[in-house]
Amino acid sequence: MWMSLTSQNPVIVTILALILGFVVGAFIIIFTTASILDAFRGFFSSWSAPGHAFKITFDNVGAAYRDMFTGSVIDPAGFWHSLTTGKGWDNTLTPISETLTYATPLVIVSTAVGISFQTGLFNIGGNGQAVLGGIAGAVVGSMIKLPMVIHLPVTLIAGILGGALAGALPGILKAYTGAHEVIVTIMENYVIYAFLLYVVLSTPYQQPGQSNDIGRSIHSSAQLPPIFGDSSGLRVSYGIFIAAGVVVFAWWFLERSSLGFDFRVTGASPTAAKASGISPRAVVVLVFLISGGLAGLAGIVQVASTTHYVDGTFLIGDAGIGFTAITVALLGRNKPVGILWASLLFGALGVGGRAMQAATGIPFDLATVIQSVVVLFVATPVLVKEIFRLRAGKTQALQLGTQGWG
Amino acid sequence: MRLELRGITKRFGSLTANDDISITVEPGQIHSLLGENGAGKSTLMNVLFGLLHPDEGEIVIDGVVTKFANSGEAVRRGIGMVHQHFMLVPVFSVTENVVLGFEPTKSMNRIDYKKATEDIRRVSKEFNLEVDPDAIVENLSVGIQQRVEILKALSHDAELLILDEPTAVLTPQEIDALMAIMRSLAASGKSILFITHKLKEVRAIADVITVIRLGKVVGTAEPTASESELASMMVGREVELAVQKDAYAPGETVFEIRDLVVRDERGLAVVDGVSLDVHAGEILALAGVQGNGQTELVEAIAGMRKVESGTITMNGRDITNESPRKILDAGLGHIPEDRQRDGLVMTMSVADNLVLNTPRRAPFASHGTRNLGAVMKHAEQLVKDFDIRTRSVKDPVSSLSGGNQQKVIVARELSRNIDFLVASQPTRGLDVGSIEYVHRQIVIHRNRGNGSLVVSSELDEVYALGDRIAVMYAGKISGIVDPSTSREDIGLMMAGTTAGALRD
Amino acid sequence: MTIVEKPTTPVPKVVLHNTRTRVIGGIMIALALFVIFVFALGSSSGSHSQLTFDPVNTTNSPIRLGTLTVLTRWSNLILGLAMLGLGVEVFWRQPRRGVMARFGGVAVLLLIALLFWAARTGGPSQISYVNLTSILVGSSEVVMVLIYGALSGVMCERSGVVNIAIEGQFIAGAFIGTIIASKTNDFFIAAIVGAVAGGLIGLLLAFFAVRYLVDQIIVGIVIVTGISFFSAYLNQQVFTPYPNLNTGNIAPSLPIPLLYKIPIIGPLFFNQSGFFYCMIILVCLVSFALFKTRYGLHVRAVGEHPDAAATVGISVARVRYINVALGGAIAGIGGVAFMASQGQFLPDYTSGFGYIALAAMIFGRWRPSGAVVASIIFGMGVYLAANLQEFSVPISGEILQMFPYLITIAVVAGLIGRVRPPAADGKPYIRD
Repeated sequence: MWMSLTSQNPVIVTILALILGFVVGAFIIIFTTASILDAFRGFFSSWSAPGHAFKITFDNVGAAYRDMFTGSVIDPAGFWHSLTTGKGWDNTLTPISETLTYATPLVIVSTAVGISFQTGLFNIGGNGQAVLGGIAGAVVGSMIKLPMVIHLPVTLIAGILGGALAGALPGILKAYTGAHEVIVTIMENYVIYAFLLYVVLSTPYQQPGQSNDIGRSIHSSAQLPPIFGDSSGLRVSYGIFIAAGVVVFAWWFLERSSLGFDFRVTGASPTAAKASGISPRAVVVLVFLISGGLAGLAGIVQVASTTHYVDGTFLIGDAGIGFTAITVALLGRNKPVGILWASLLFGALGVGGRAMQAATGIPFDLATVIQSVVVLFVATPVLVKEIFRLRAGKTQALQLGTQGWG
Repeated sequence: MRLELRGITKRFGSLTANDDISITVEPGQIHSLLGENGAGKSTLMNVLFGLLHPDEGEIVIDGVVTKFANSGEAVRRGIGMVHQHFMLVPVFSVTENVVLGFEPTKSMNRIDYKKATEDIRRVSKEFNLEVDPDAIVENLSVGIQQRVEILKALSHDAELLILDEPTAVLTPQEIDALMAIMRSLAASGKSILFITHKLKEVRAIADVITVIRLGKVVGTAEPTASESELASMMVGREVELAVQKDAYAPGETVFEIRDLVVRDERGLAVVDGVSLDVHAGEILALAGVQGNGQTELVEAIAGMRKVESGTITMNGRDITNESPRKILDAGLGHIPEDRQRDGLVMTMSVADNLVLNTPRRAPFASHGTRNLGAVMKHAEQLVKDFDIRTRSVKDPVSSLSGGNQQKVIVARELSRNIDFLVASQPTRGLDVGSIEYVHRQIVIHRNRGNGSLVVSSELDEVYALGDRIAVMYAGKISGIVDPSTSREDIGLMMAGTTAGALRD
Repeated sequence: MTIVEKPTTPVPKVVLHNTRTRVIGGIMIALALFVIFVFALGSSSGSHSQLTFDPVNTTNSPIRLGTLTVLTRWSNLILGLAMLGLGVEVFWRQPRRGVMARFGGVAVLLLIALLFWAARTGGPSQISYVNLTSILVGSSEVVMVLIYGALSGVMCERSGVVNIAIEGQFIAGAFIGTIIASKTNDFFIAAIVGAVAGGLIGLLLAFFAVRYLVDQIIVGIVIVTGISFFSAYLNQQVFTPYPNLNTGNIAPSLPIPLLYKIPIIGPLFFNQSGFFYCMIILVCLVSFALFKTRYGLHVRAVGEHPDAAATVGISVARVRYINVALGGAIAGIGGVAFMASQGQFLPDYTSGFGYIALAAMIFGRWRPSGAVVASIIFGMGVYLAANLQEFSVPISGEILQMFPYLITIAVVAGLIGRVRPPAADGKPYIRD
């Protein structure tokens, strides 16, 4: 299992990949928006028609992307207004706050996935692990009463343990039977989704008085409150400190700790790792425990900071955070700092996508499509360079992990 | 055919692998291309075989300038190649391998196996190369597999046969058999281009020798030239063919293997009751053709493979089936057979590779946190002491040449305060300078009073280093003898005759 | 000169202490004991289980087989003992080959015992008979889709490319299939277009994997994620304003005259939709092509030892592009077939079948024939898990849903290391 990525100027490649992604997104908008297609159908009908068609195109695409930006980062007009009048900060800061809120659990899961990728293992089960962590944490948070000082940490720890438990299965199976973690984790995701439905429908965790698939709300002593208070409408919570802490931890772990060194060696060359004394089984199990645990933490952070309860569509309808995490990790080249920026970017895309949907009706899934395109381009710097004819550097495509079922 | 290479030049970036090379091979001639590892022989062969396109120069076959778009065209033009690492699909039968790409077909694109088998039997008889067409290749011995490779080339009506380092995997007897085949092929009019770095073989079989060094043709020689003449042409300076060793004064036993049995994935005993011992101040050289259990034996010693029964003792301590970590900590040094796969992490820095076996030991780490400053200092020191050529210790070890990569491994092991050294094929693929260097380091280790086990399929190396020589065949030790034993006898032991039988 | 064959040291009859085989044997024994104690002894001595064999609409079959009634306790006891025998054999003798085949046998016996027990008289179930024919026919839809997927996997992986994107090709095929079928009601055209869609996705995968040497699993996952969300996007954009493009269209059954009246086998093999017959033809075609033709030899050479293929002039890249495209096309048809059995398109309703198909391919050792057998076992498992609720089995529905996925995990864990994928599977081919 080895990952080798050398690229001459990774930042430039990323930016170019982004541009390409947005271009592809623009084309998708063009080809699926009725008004634009109508305008092009009449392209040759009159002299002003082409200009009209292009104008409609730019209007629509421009509106879509503009709404994305203002919905996820800031609305310049609103910003100016708040700056000059000193009022309305809540509205102005809402987009950034939303982006940060969305990015908070994403950073944590993506870090989890990134650690596993650096060790050459594919943890595709981030989603399921986050769900299980969310369930575990939500149960602890809602069915026990403790003072906040203890309750919140205990709830978070429960989330970590839940995720680690989910990670233990593929880890142990891979270590002791060699079962390919891609299939095991993907199957496990489905198992956990079924388990989620079971828990919110058929166990005492179900919200009393409800027959729907909604679980109990966690007590306020286990919640992560918004930083600026409930009344501000800004949802960004203390969870961002946890996310930042995770990034710092991951950086220290991979770059400075001995165990992290073992992980990276195993990822780069499992044969050399074994020959030099590293126990491959121990590493595999530990990677999945840590990765799963972090994913579980993301799950409970999501619950504790936003919805405060878990329902049947937890994390599933929400752009499958575990899969977004894979693309984020790839974009950030599996390094914690890169993952941080990539999470913010994709968080912005996700939030912006929703805003775009509200304003223009274009479904937010488009944003996810753009994400996929960007990641594909990032994963193949060679292709991006060919398209833009950059100076040929010694670039290798992103390669990871066990190749095949090995 | 008459083959001429005129002025072939091939560059890879700033490296000129082939520099204006011109060679002529006459029909019926055995022409040997002699050069050390890294001289550019493989590149030239890939050009000739159509796998690479030359930047300059041309290939002339029977007076006609020819260009190959790919190796399929080269094959059709009559060039056959027997590769060093066989181009045979292990799970296919002999027939399937031989006809691949040139299959006779029936209706509906079906392969006519009956005709194919007939053709194979015919060619096989014509050139006296017996094989069983239905045998599955992975079940055949290496010598027979090579025969299938030759058959493959011949069945494509090859007029020129290129053999790339064909003897690396053969016993002396199999080498003799191969040479007989080559002579008979040449006698029937085929041209043979025989690539090697082995001086003895070149003198035994070649009609003409072309020596190449650093991408250029240095000159031609007759097979009557002496080994040292050829060696100095090959390397460019006087070559010390023997290694200086102190007087042999073995101490007590420091390493012992008793009745070791190791099984592979299929349940076969690849190490079948091996016993040997090594004394202080001694190098025990383990000779034998690759594939007779040596690889698995070394893996078992290093803790990478499970031992079924028997014991391995180092300095009085039983290390059988211990984890690699414990064995390394107990004082074993290991130079693995496949340096890029098992000895180094290619994408990591030279510095990291130099602490690969002991990353947690002080001063490189404490309380689970690495001390990067100490790692760097250690690396700088070793680079100096062991003359490792690298731009910076932070560079990835993949940027080093093969010889320097091996130096990293040697430096790491020998500076680690080890007791016993196991070196497996330590100079494979290295240029002469690096070979000399590695041998010197092993001898220094020995002269200091430590014990070593050197596993090698190169008889020259075995004779140069070994204070005693053990020979392994089919998982067993055929005998342990002293270096005055003749090559023929060792060759027989490598093919199964026991030392006891030889004495009788 | 004489041949010197590699002498094989005679292997002594030593029993390998192979832990994994023991574990598998242990699991088989545990399942056997479960059947004996819960299914056999757990049912009262008088209960009967009834097996019926007539298809639900009986007008077509002149031959009626009637009902087979067995005593639940004794039947399950016999089944359990058979399972026990297999499990003990594996545990004790630790055979080196055919362990998973025996495990498959135990699985089949377990399913039968489960059916007997669920449908017994005197139990909580309202229905006291098991219609074998309807179970077989019902599960054949799932089996068919799995076979399409596994076949696609075989085509791709035999040439050395791992196709994780099968799930995506299913979705794409289903999406496009429903649009075409809704507008034209012509399933043949829908299949063609679905094949094209799947093939294009395959080409995309091959493009990134072969030319740009990106890790095949990463490309596959990114593609599936992209398609999954793209189809949800289009579901909103297209089907919400134009629901008539997603009308409930189920492919009609095409009964083969006379043959379809044969009991059990008739409805199962000769009264199916065109997609079913197409699947059977494809299985035969792929088998023939891979193992008998020149093309097949080239494909397998590329998948096992691409260097060897390249040196005889075979273009590794071309072979891979072709095969991955064909594999994608097959998966695309599979997607249309799935839609045609459900009648419409819903986002993500393929529920991981694409991955289960991959497990079936592994279980079937990368051979079309093996993939068929494996798909049958997996497919029946999925179908039963979804339909067991009819029998008021005391396990909640959601837990039952987990079973197909848990079984897949178990199979994959038990098999890896015992099976040999094509040697170059998953490794990018780098031309020097």
